[in-house]
Amino acid sequence: MNQAMPEPASRAAGAGVTARALTRRFGNHLAIDRIDLQIAPGARFSLLGANGAGKTSFLRMLTGFLLPTSGELTLDGISPARHPHAVNKQIGFAMETARLDPDLRVSALLRFLGGARGLRGRALEHAVDRVIERFQLEPVAARRTGNLSKGLERRVSLAQAFLVESRWILLDEPSQGLDPAQRNQVRETLRGIEAERSLILCTHDLDEARALTDRAGVLHAGRLIAQGPTREVLDRPDVLSLFETRPAAKGAHS
Amino acid sequence: MTPLLALVRRELAALFGSPIAYAVLVGVCVVTAIFFFEHLQLYNQMLFSFSSTSIGGVNADEIPDSFNLWDAVFFPVMEVLAITFIGVIPLVTMRVFAEERARGTDELLFTTHLTPFRIIIAKFGVTFAFVIAMVAVSFIYPATAIIRGGLGAQHLSAVFIGLTLHGIAVASIGLMCSAFTSSQLVASVTAWVIAFVWWDFGWMHPLSSEGTAAILDALALHPRYSGFAAGSVSLADIVYFIALALVAMAIARLSFDLRRIQP
Repeated sequence: MNQAMPEPASRAAGAGVTARALTRRFGNHLAIDRIDLQIAPGARFSLLGANGAGKTSFLRMLTGFLLPTSGELTLDGISPARHPHAVNKQIGFAMETARLDPDLRVSALLRFLGGARGLRGRALEHAVDRVIERFQLEPVAARRTGNLSKGLERRVSLAQAFLVESRWILLDEPSQGLDPAQRNQVRETLRGIEAERSLILCTHDLDEARALTDRAGVLHAGRLIAQGPTREVLDRPDVLSLFETRPAAKGAHS
Repeated sequence: MTPLLALVRRELAALFGSPIAYAVLVGVCVVTAIFFFEHLQLYNQMLFSFSSTSIGGVNADEIPDSFNLWDAVFFPVMEVLAITFIGVIPLVTMRVFAEERARGTDELLFTTHLTPFRIIIAKFGVTFAFVIAMVAVSFIYPATAIIRGGLGAQHLSAVFIGLTLHGIAVASIGLMCSAFTSSQLVASVTAWVIAFVWWDFGWMHPLSSEGTAAILDALALHPRYSGFAAGSVSLADIVYFIALALVAMAIARLSFDLRRIQP
């Protein structure tokens, strides 16, 4: 009985994302360590960190797919832990790895996901056509997603996040697996997100964070070690050192 | 299109787009046909032996009551059909949740407007529809035996309801197992073990007291199913099968919450 019902949209709108002492453990591993974070509505926010820093765990808690071990997390005043589906009505979400049904054709998959998000009839057809055009998927619309290249899979995954006019767009490593031209296309698309929609971008690509977001937070080993305007955060030597390529790694790539 | 309808359509496409569904339908028909004709042939041979006085048989009115179409053909076919359902239904149910989990598409589904309850309803509902289709295609032989045996439409309906409820119970067990794993093999083997154990607890009688044995018999599938096979529709038996399906659905629903704690 002490579970509060989600606030009506009119009251909850504008509350943004709030995390207080948010913690998530996987056995002995501390993935998120007492994070305090505020993301204002309408923000373009990037959550930066190396692989394993806790970015994906944070996003999964924000969608409600993962429960926090302790602490509090709300999106527009609604707790994803208690009311995941009320939160999911506010968001468009693309995962780090494009997890798509390989047996469905691109257009059928988008139609299914649009339907599963409550679109129907002409609105559904219009939404599918719009994202196919926006992410330049026309040549592969009739192909099965299982036969797509990684870059195309990524674009389909991003396209489904934009099917519904949701207030929040959550993207996990959106340009991973894309070639430079595709990366630029995706960035252009993300720059075009309407002003009233908020963007949370998890990435380890500093250029992407600079190009697309105005505020940033940096996760390191589950702890939020910096937050503020993106340019200021990315000017900090301690932050930059986390993303520096070590000589051994350079040697391995060459 | 409502979110639930969207998922139902996708599940139907996935089920009937898979060769396993058709293989199962054909397999059930073939197994039933083989057993039906084998028992029918045996029955005819024995009937001939009984009635042929030239080879030392007896007159028709002297054929013992225990030798009849019901005991010689119908009941064995019904038993085989029920056991076949336990064997083949897990092949259909193993994919339903486990594949989604293995591919990671369950997370994407979670971020749509589909609640776990709706997902359960859609996936169980489509599988139940498949079970009904399977009963329909395999029903020709029991139906023939009933009609030829003069058992009547009431008996025919009771058997159809019994087979359908039994299939739904086995499907529910299979779906419940599929909801807790990403491995289709684990899902099917677990479902087989549970369903075969649940079929009849007679093997537990030597190890249990009289009271415990009675409780186990009340929980087992076979005694409930036999009632329908005998032509009697009991409300208690219907409630038993529906309750079993609902418990399996509730347990499958729990898997969603467990996944949020430990994906």
